Amino acid sequence: MPPYHHLRYIVAVTIALSAIFSLPAATAIIRGPYLQSATPTSMVVRWRTDNTEPSIVRYGLTRTELTTTVKAEGITTEHFVHLGNLKPNTRYYYTMGAEPVAKPAAVGTKKAGGTPAAAEAEDGPGRAPTSSFVTPPESGFSQPTRVWVLGDPGTKGDTQRAVRDQYYKFTDKRATDLWLLLGDNAYPDGTDTDYQKAIFEMYPETLRTVPVWSCLGNHDGKSANSITQSGVYYNAFTFPTRGEAGGVASGTEAYYSFDYANTHFIALDSHDSDRSLGGAMMTWLKADLAATKRDWIVAFFHHPTYTKGTHDSDKDSDSAGRMNDMRQNFLPVLEAGGVDLILTGHSHVYERSFLLDGHYGKSTTFNAATMVKQKGEVRADGVVVYRKPRARTAHFGDINVVTGSAGHAGSKTKPPALNHPAFYISLNEAGSSVLDIDGLNLTLTFLNDKGEQRDRFAIIKE
Amino acid sequence: MSRRTNLFVLALLSATPAGAHPEIQDALDRLTTALATTPNEASLYLERGELYARHEDWPSAEANYLRAAELAPRLPRLALARGSLSLARGQVSAARAFLDQAIALAPSDPTALILRARALARLGLTPDALTDYTQAFALLATPSPELYLERAALFASPADALRSLADAFVRLGPVMSLQLRALDLEVALRRFDDALARVDLLTSASERRELWLKRRGDILVSAGRHAEARAAYVAAQTAIAALPAWLVASPDTVRLSTELTRLATTTP
Repeated sequence: MPPYHHLRYIVAVTIALSAIFSLPAATAIIRGPYLQSATPTSMVVRWRTDNTEPSIVRYGLTRTELTTTVKAEGITTEHFVHLGNLKPNTRYYYTMGAEPVAKPAAVGTKKAGGTPAAAEAEDGPGRAPTSSFVTPPESGFSQPTRVWVLGDPGTKGDTQRAVRDQYYKFTDKRATDLWLLLGDNAYPDGTDTDYQKAIFEMYPETLRTVPVWSCLGNHDGKSANSITQSGVYYNAFTFPTRGEAGGVASGTEAYYSFDYANTHFIALDSHDSDRSLGGAMMTWLKADLAATKRDWIVAFFHHPTYTKGTHDSDKDSDSAGRMNDMRQNFLPVLEAGGVDLILTGHSHVYERSFLLDGHYGKSTTFNAATMVKQKGEVRADGVVVYRKPRARTAHFGDINVVTGSAGHAGSKTKPPALNHPAFYISLNEAGSSVLDIDGLNLTLTFLNDKGEQRDRFAIIKE
Repeated sequence: MSRRTNLFVLALLSATPAGAHPEIQDALDRLTTALATTPNEASLYLERGELYARHEDWPSAEANYLRAAELAPRLPRLALARGSLSLARGQVSAARAFLDQAIALAPSDPTALILRARALARLGLTPDALTDYTQAFALLATPSPELYLERAALFASPADALRSLADAFVRLGPVMSLQLRALDLEVALRRFDDALARVDLLTSASERRELWLKRRGDILVSAGRHAEARAAYVAAQTAIAALPAWLVASPDTVRLSTELTRLATTTP
């Protein structure tokens, strides 16, 4: 090697070393980033660092031009940055921190459904790579929407991972637009450590590319309090309280609503808020239902209206009567408001009803002749089809889905009864549900932990 | 055998709360196993009592709390747990006593203050209840709307109730459940212009203006301002006409439209 080549080598190494040692002591991102409270023109980006630092997000329309910087006040380990003035239905690239950062070492890479996975960096601790998200379309605008629905996922075990991976395989390059957690997100107690393992380390790439919405489950409720809006669940999530994502201002993250395209989503707190007829949640719900102009209304909450799975909605003592309250008090109001689909968890099974209306009692009072509005027609592709008029019609019928097995199913040796007459199908299988909405067609698929599509139904509005 | 001992033995013998679920049983088993090795660990009895209380198995909860109290009377959270249990069981005086203890131990615990406020309200001690609510609100970052409604319900005077909601709008924004309560109070007080201003705010923020315009008309009728009421009903019909055709055709909207036509023609 000629002498000047040695010199060039030494200079290069010196420059590289000085660059490394001149970097400020980097904090590591130990949670997130994750996306919250998505609206057509805004997004909340949250993350946690191991040491305090300023909360800074740089973003832009291309991966290489993160031209806009937003900095929240103060320094913290719990970062919350609100990005405003965004364009609807637009992909934005973003990263955290003021300076470009090196790509971290790959740890446990999982491909998130439908995200530009090849372009995203690997999951793992350390500094954040550049990620991206797509803002929701303008409210009322109809476009194909995919929603991943996970009930009771947070067991942290192999079943939760299998359910996750089968969804990623199923959706492949099809983008996930939003995902719903139906409560009991982190077993056993909904503590910060439980959340870290069951949610933040389980779905890192989905969290940083797809906005997540949730309702409170009983296990989350062990470390959270809806009345004081405090505790781990409320600290971890940011949901709209002032109607900023569509719908009516609830004043609380315990129950809220939002729009995505032509669908109105309503999250209720079946665990810890007042479930009485004259309560604040009920008053809000009635006003919220009356106010929406979206084609579809999807309600989600933790405790099912009907189940004969790992819980029994006929037992008054089961879950301290919460299932009764949701069935007797809230279901009539939801049905009067024209709700199309009700998603719940709590019972670790999959149960899906006929198109129903008016069943507010125990299973012994179920009258198929008057309460089953449609049994459903089985199409050639196996999809069970129900039809509703587009004109919103009170008590035309809704489908109740218990999909509470994203973390585990009921016992195989002592299987649940699964004999509630309101259900078209009942399965003691782990899995998650995939909701696709395209214009006036809504399809839900139950995908088990083996990747089998075990139930598919559609509601078509005409 | 004392009543306490009877209760405790009964609770220990009842293996499972009614309607128990495998996870609850797992948690109970975990605690029972831990208690087998550390039988004098009061916090485990407290935790087990809380688990029973969460599932409304009151006798088992009480038995575990009693044991915890025997072992460690000043255990943090114990007085709060016992107060909460007593309140849930309708034993309001006992609840108040336990919550007094809880607050003496932790004066800045908003949950204890809220529970005591509820107990005091049920005992008819309204001024004391209001003091506790107000103190709890000062400690909370975002008090829930239902707490504001609870506090407002304690005031005998609608004007005082209305005033009590003002803080909520500042802190929580235009929360629907509170706006509707305030609207009712303003109409009850015959403060029609204030009520109308509130309705106008709700109208401007709503995609379904026709519902609020009808409410505006109804308030104007109550105020004896019939010409303005008719105009509001007509405006509501205009708002309906601007809706997408499929919403105009919905039975609820058709019913509302028919009602508005009737009101617009029959209001004097």
